[in-house]
Amino acid sequence: MSLSFVLGVATALFGIGLYGLLQRRSLVAMLISLELMLASISINVIALTTLTGQEPSLGQVVVLIFVGVAAAEVAIALSLFVAIHRAAHDIDVEHLSELKG
Amino acid sequence: MTATDGVFLVSAAVALVGALLAVGLRNIFHNILGFALAMLGVAGVFACLGSDFLAAVFVLVYVGAVAIAMVYAVMLSHPLDQPHRPRNGWKIAGAALLATVVAATLWSVLRLAPWPVLVPGGDNGAALTGTRFLSDYVLAFELVSVLLVVAMMGAVMVARRQRPGRGTW
Repeated sequence: MSLSFVLGVATALFGIGLYGLLQRRSLVAMLISLELMLASISINVIALTTLTGQEPSLGQVVVLIFVGVAAAEVAIALSLFVAIHRAAHDIDVEHLSELKG
Repeated sequence: MTATDGVFLVSAAVALVGALLAVGLRNIFHNILGFALAMLGVAGVFACLGSDFLAAVFVLVYVGAVAIAMVYAVMLSHPLDQPHRPRNGWKIAGAALLATVVAATLWSVLRLAPWPVLVPGGDNGAALTGTRFLSDYVLAFELVSVLLVVAMMGAVMVARRQRPGRGTW
């Protein structure tokens, strides 16, 4: 389990998440992709603090703050999706274009 | 190859397969299940890196809370009833190309960076993490709890059904 292998896994996860964020049209699917990208960043932080002999507990503090912020983001985003669906009866981003000039 | 390496390989494979399922499948409910699988794999990776507490937190928060909240949002907004619309192949190809380019760039930067690979060590147990949270990083800890309370109240306000004849609030 070398550092570069862990970083490679995290990069692949980030790429998959970015592809989903760009390609999917459902808001929930885009949120899932965003969470995947956040998880890959968390893997990077933990790998770089653990495997390089820095301070591992510092990385855990940072990632726990990530998790808290991500949970808040998910709560707000999902409630927004429900509100958007109630107003527009659709959560496909290509159809939510009332503000388009 | 030690046992930890084997567990790490399996966890990484589970995470990547789960991510592919979460992104690639068409049914949004299957996407959420794939997301939960990917987060289980990520938790396994954390456990292999020595962060047992973080692995438990990821399982609890992502598999236990976030995925269930997403299932609720899907049930409340039933996207499965929407008719299937044809997709634009060029957009999919462009998204794949851009994601590949970004990931390749990131990988080349990460690979070439001179990381100081020292002897892995240090205390990464939950006890020291908790002590740090309540001593050096107590401000961040409290701010995250305030953020969670505000997000919870905001979610209730945003998703609340507006009754006719009442004001905005």
